[in-house]
Amino acid sequence: MFEEEKDNQAEGLEVSARAGEAAGPADGPSESAGTATAYVIEEPSVVRAVAVALAGWLLPGLGHALLKMWGRALAIFLTVGFLVYLGAGMRGNVFAPGGDDAFARLGYIADAGTGAFYFVARALEGAGSDVSHAAGDYGTRFLATAGVLNLLAALHAYEAARGRKA
Amino acid sequence: MVPLHFSHFQSLLLFALIISLAFGTLGRRKPIARVKYAAWSFAMFVLVGIALGWLMYPFSR
Repeated sequence: MFEEEKDNQAEGLEVSARAGEAAGPADGPSESAGTATAYVIEEPSVVRAVAVALAGWLLPGLGHALLKMWGRALAIFLTVGFLVYLGAGMRGNVFAPGGDDAFARLGYIADAGTGAFYFVARALEGAGSDVSHAAGDYGTRFLATAGVLNLLAALHAYEAARGRKA
Repeated sequence: MVPLHFSHFQSLLLFALIISLAFGTLGRRKPIARVKYAAWSFAMFVLVGIALGWLMYPFSR
């Protein structure tokens, strides 16, 4: 798991830091001794983290799968997929690009947050949306929530790839 | 696909369950902590949802 790798990485940094101390004077680095101990900590790649986040957005759970966080990857894939299935089944509104008002544009952004599942939702809704009933209105919220949840998961994958959160 | 029909309360329960599971998985690392957080989120979703429903009740008629 990524958590374990991260823990090991953190332990490795501590070990190298201790090794650096051991290599220096016994009482630690000091300017008077004329030596300096440098600690080199490698920053996780930003490009890789962005790629992980993009992968997570395009296919829910893929970002975490690339980080070998299998449980979270599966949970995200299933929750986003199930929300999309329910939203489309309840005949919620799948917003198309180029909406007339701000609500439609925001709705499209939220729906597009599901990545590839946006097209699945459009394919599932063969008969189109029906928001004249409460179920259709709830379906619209389910679809938007799926998108926002996937965007949150992609952000989480980005942070995990940067080594900030796990 | 077959249209799905849920009542208001069923929709609330489904929504709360799915989102709570996602929050628990994303928000915590240890399995016990995940279960606790998911259960807490689920309870809060349902309780706050019902409370808001009752708060809006006077305006429905």
